[in-house]
Amino acid sequence: MTTLMNLRQNQYPLMDDARLAHQARTDLQAFAELYHRHLTSVYRYHLVHTGNEKDAEDLTSQTFMAALEGIDSYRGTGPYIAWLMGIASRLRARFFRGSKPEVPLDAALQIPTPSLPTDKAAYRRLQMDEVIGALRHISRDRAEALILCFFSELSFGEAGLVLGKSEAAVKMLISRGLQDLRTRTSLALEVDYE
Amino acid sequence: MNKNILNQLSADERPVAWTLQATAEDMRVSPTFQWNLETKLMDKAKKQIQPKQGWHTNIVGTVGWALAALGAIFLLSWTIRSIVSGVQPATNETPTPEMSFEEKVRAGNICAGPLALAHNFSVFVTNQEKTVFVPLDEQNTIGELRSFAWSSNGQLAVVGNTTGAGNIYVTDSVDHPLQPVIPNSELGYLMEVAWSQDGKQLLMWSVQNNTIVYVVNADGTNLLERKLDLQLFAIPQFSPDNSSMIFRGANASSSGLFEVKFDGLQVRLISPLVDDESGFAWSPDGSRLAYVEMDRTLGEARLVSEEIATGNKSVLATLPTPKGSGSSLPESANLSWSADGTSLVFEFGRSPTDRVIYLAHADGTEPIQLVTSAYAPTISADGNCLAYISNKQVFLLDLTDTITPPLLLADLPTGRSIAGFQMDKLQWSPKRP
Repeated sequence: MTTLMNLRQNQYPLMDDARLAHQARTDLQAFAELYHRHLTSVYRYHLVHTGNEKDAEDLTSQTFMAALEGIDSYRGTGPYIAWLMGIASRLRARFFRGSKPEVPLDAALQIPTPSLPTDKAAYRRLQMDEVIGALRHISRDRAEALILCFFSELSFGEAGLVLGKSEAAVKMLISRGLQDLRTRTSLALEVDYE
Repeated sequence: MNKNILNQLSADERPVAWTLQATAEDMRVSPTFQWNLETKLMDKAKKQIQPKQGWHTNIVGTVGWALAALGAIFLLSWTIRSIVSGVQPATNETPTPEMSFEEKVRAGNICAGPLALAHNFSVFVTNQEKTVFVPLDEQNTIGELRSFAWSSNGQLAVVGNTTGAGNIYVTDSVDHPLQPVIPNSELGYLMEVAWSQDGKQLLMWSVQNNTIVYVVNADGTNLLERKLDLQLFAIPQFSPDNSSMIFRGANASSSGLFEVKFDGLQVRLISPLVDDESGFAWSPDGSRLAYVEMDRTLGEARLVSEEIATGNKSVLATLPTPKGSGSSLPESANLSWSADGTSLVFEFGRSPTDRVIYLAHADGTEPIQLVTSAYAPTISADGNCLAYISNKQVFLLDLTDTITPPLLLADLPTGRSIAGFQMDKLQWSPKRP
């Protein structure tokens, strides 16, 4: 009765990622803990890029398979999450090579309907599509910084390592990206002030 | 969201950031995908992560191979001699193909017996094939059904309410109509009901006066009212010998898990650290009481098993919680034992969407996480199935082989409700079919 989830038994609550990654070379439980800590970050990253659950699941699966296979190559010189999201980013790039997503030009200025669907799930789906659509209408660097920081919950410094930029540059990308979303897309109309 | 990032944003940037955050939080990993991925990773990891072998391991390996080879030669020789000495007549038996978990469940070979669900203002029971939840009061003649309780002998008591009056109904089989025990009572707004261990009495309480409990025979006779010097926070449970009841409550000086004797109403505080209304359960044989203590000082939640005869306590599991009084604690809920008394399940976390279902062992071995983002766990009477709710769906998990992905039993049925009312309860009938 063993799955990877079962192996995680709260025995590493205080151990940092880098030490866990080192231990994961020979200890499956350490890898299970790392997997649990970062599954959601990786999945959200791929979901917001692909826009559909099936592709996001495929890419998430590939990311963790690659991480497990290459765990020996993680040297601990930077945060583990940055290393993992680097893998995710490369797999995402490979996925999109040859299948460039196309978004109609008028979608960016499409005004959302004021009457919300009664079904919450449907509304969430619409909001997700709206956000994903909006992110496709701003520059790639800015969108990638926003996705890493808001969906995968990386710090500016960690996102910088994935993007090959300084922390200050990531801050600037985030700021400009948020401004673009606010002024150039319909996303600002969807803002929920609760 | 990463709060450090939010703090570094200007006021006009924050609203869009919140929208991104809200969207991100709605992106949840499906339990089925998670299960499949973990299985794949597990297979890969087993091949990849091998413990380093020393010289002695190699020698043992070599000797092992040699012994295996000798064994094979002996077995071959014995087989040849058996064939020569007498050929056995062939049988007509053909090997039975192994059934999948789903096939076994649908056929009723395992996890048999009804699974009941309280959701919104209705109570449902699974059909025999476990493909759908059937409403108990299909014609909606009774009104709002809020909760239910199985007796040890498979009777189902259901709590209903109409225009402020509480009703209790009982059926001895889910195929039979509900029979009123206390229709249109004067007891007030009843929320829950509990059975005595022998299935002969029912215990009730009303939210309109939480210092009174009512005891009634299952046939509706002999209704007794008992006034307490304590406030009840949730439905009490009968003790195994029916001499007392146990519940979470409070008096003027303390709160926690209390025991009150029916004879004389003496009060005993079992533990002041029990915070959750469904965070305690009697073992099936009645010899042990398990409960979850929340220790703010140490910053941990403890699953404790108390031996009733001796008073000995043992800690079966500990989970980290925030320390001190400043932060809110996670909840533990729906603690229950397996029918053989060897393990317990419970959920732990802040909200139903971030709860984790744990399996603890009565012998104190390390607990394991069974499912994340799930709640309302309950183990079937044969011990083979864990039922739980996740993402508005009810799943069955094969406890004998958790490599098998969970089986989707059904979506949570829709029904009447009001905003803010949520009492999803899931429970197998304890009676073996």
